[in-house]
Amino acid sequence: MVTAMRTMKEKTRRDLTLTVLFVIFVAILLQVANVKFDSYQKQVLSLMAIYGIMAVSLNLVNGITGVFSLGHAGFILLGAYTSALLTIPPEQKAMIFIIEPAHPFIANLHTDFFTATIVAGGISALGAFIIGFPVLRLSGDYLAIASLGFSEVLRILALNLQSITNGSLGLKGIPNHTNIWWSWGWLLVTVLFIVSLVKSSYGRALLAIRENPIAAEAMGINVFKHTLLSFVISAFFAGVSGSLYAHWLTTIDPRITTFGPVLTYYVLIMVVLGGLGSVSGSIIGAILFAFLMEWLRMFEQPFTLFGRQYPAIQGMRMLVLSVLFVVTMIVWKRGLFGRAEITWDGIRKLMKKFRRSGSR
Amino acid sequence: MKRYMVFFFTFVVAIVFADIKIGVLLPLTGGISAFGEWTKKGIELAREQRPTVLGEKVVLVYADTRSEKTEAANAMARLTDKEKVVAVIGEIASSNSMAAAEIAENRKVPQVAVTSTNPLVTQGKKFVSRVCFIDPLQGTALAEFAANTLKARKVTIFVDIEQDYSVGLTNYFIERFEGKYKGNVQKVQYKSGDQEFSAQISQAIAFGSDVIMFTGYYNEIALAAQQARSMGYKGYFIAGDGADAPELIKIGGKAVEGLYFTTHYVPEAAKTKKAKDFVESFKKKYGTLPAMNAALGYDAYMLILDAIERAKSKDPVKINNAIRSTKNFEGVSGLITIDENGNAIKPVVIVQVKNGKFTYVTSIEPAQLK
Repeated sequence: MVTAMRTMKEKTRRDLTLTVLFVIFVAILLQVANVKFDSYQKQVLSLMAIYGIMAVSLNLVNGITGVFSLGHAGFILLGAYTSALLTIPPEQKAMIFIIEPAHPFIANLHTDFFTATIVAGGISALGAFIIGFPVLRLSGDYLAIASLGFSEVLRILALNLQSITNGSLGLKGIPNHTNIWWSWGWLLVTVLFIVSLVKSSYGRALLAIRENPIAAEAMGINVFKHTLLSFVISAFFAGVSGSLYAHWLTTIDPRITTFGPVLTYYVLIMVVLGGLGSVSGSIIGAILFAFLMEWLRMFEQPFTLFGRQYPAIQGMRMLVLSVLFVVTMIVWKRGLFGRAEITWDGIRKLMKKFRRSGSR
Repeated sequence: MKRYMVFFFTFVVAIVFADIKIGVLLPLTGGISAFGEWTKKGIELAREQRPTVLGEKVVLVYADTRSEKTEAANAMARLTDKEKVVAVIGEIASSNSMAAAEIAENRKVPQVAVTSTNPLVTQGKKFVSRVCFIDPLQGTALAEFAANTLKARKVTIFVDIEQDYSVGLTNYFIERFEGKYKGNVQKVQYKSGDQEFSAQISQAIAFGSDVIMFTGYYNEIALAAQQARSMGYKGYFIAGDGADAPELIKIGGKAVEGLYFTTHYVPEAAKTKKAKDFVESFKKKYGTLPAMNAALGYDAYMLILDAIERAKSKDPVKINNAIRSTKNFEGVSGLITIDENGNAIKPVVIVQVKNGKFTYVTSIEPAQLK
């Protein structure tokens, strides 16, 4: 028993070292990318991490707690607007609020990017609390409808509160703060936080709720409290991703194509593609999504086939992408990773397998 | 294996070694792809007519924005960084142009927006210009037209609060009109995609409006006009360039008969030889009359080539300086002068729907609106 505990401890220590080494390795890769890549590639690289944060945070609610939320775009919007209003310099605000002057309180707000991002997360979390508190008391799929409605309400509010959000004209001139370090740094924070949450007693309770809420309740888990907790944490990181997104894009507006349900569906695609319930899957899903969207542009260039010139077909990219996704979901029915995570144990086993088949 | 290799190589995209690359950033798929397609047709025709500049071949590199902001930013970055274009034509929608504008500004590559009329697009930007007039000019022209020609005294404006374009245009109209007749304008709101307008129409009738102005897009305009006529409204309809689409008549039918709207271009207004030739060659190539987007796309391409020629250089910064100093450039949509903010100063065209056709009424010169 004692030896078993010791090996467990050793294993955890080994895994921790490996994880730290891995993070350093990724950081070195990013530094190389930062120097070698052109700004277009860096832009896509940042977007990957932003999508990663969105996916990991949605996965906490939809995959790990097993409560279906469709309101992610709303929390992203809340975070984006909050942080944008905090970082746009007052002179710039005076310039862009051309229909109605900005509310005096809004007009003079100004903080640095980091504070703005934290506040954005906080406001999104508050929003999640306000909507989650009444709705999560109900059982069933009410949250899906209520959160979808909530995110639309936020979008309509952003359209109408002319003196706060500049209405449909949107905000522009948001400082371009988001770079590789901010986005990947925040992704690291998100992953660390959510993984340690899942490994804690709270996380075990969340998994129990996903498997069977009634049984979990019978075991003494306060289902309401725990689902609300996961919902609020998820919204916090959605807000953070919104802030990064706004400072990446430098202009936001409450249009349906910018912060509408489509954005939620994109994030949902990333999560389901990677495997609902898997944090590593969500990250891979997000990276793949951002990468493929840009990489597949080559299908929209003119091409020659068997010596004949063909004109470019616009929209081809989305066709290829959809087919890829359909095939993926047919081959891996639960997404690329299912509920499994990439762990050091798993990698070791895989390497052993390779070695064995290699020596044969 | 060999067979696969052969198969693979035939797939390899033919890379054209271009001398002068111009990026074209357009919504070729998604919500507003129809506008993107028209613009593309105009640009293609322009390239056919003028395929070289400074003795070198011009190659167009298209990038689709899927009518979305994120995509617009990425596509723009791809054009400037990967394709290394010397200038970019696009986008159509103001909100997408704004997302691209930040990148144009960072990379110091000139961007010429086609029909983005929101004043914020070029505001504070050194590398962003456009070939269309801006909403303040259009709103002022509409106000002058309503007050002087239609003798309007009571106006109800239908505002599509989802569209920045509509909110802006409404605002500039009111600014000018209220300056003449204070308190005689009423705003009613709707949202893109609405089908039912009877509440707003009753408000308009109760207000005693002699003019109803629509600042949104053709779809809602057609529906609202129909409902207004069936509810007994007898006055005029006026609208902005959002009405400029054949679908307006297809959906609106008899109800939109007599509607006036402001726009950038109409084939019937072609007076110069250049403009007439454009209409002819467009008809020959595509079998239809050019729409407003096609003419502006054509002008954007020609303006950039003109600027390259004047700059005598492929350097984007020099080209940008040349674009910014464009004076009285003869486009097919009228004389274009780019002001110090990058906005085009050009005439506003007024068109009326007559016998199910768009008919040219008059042009208002910017000097008349001072």
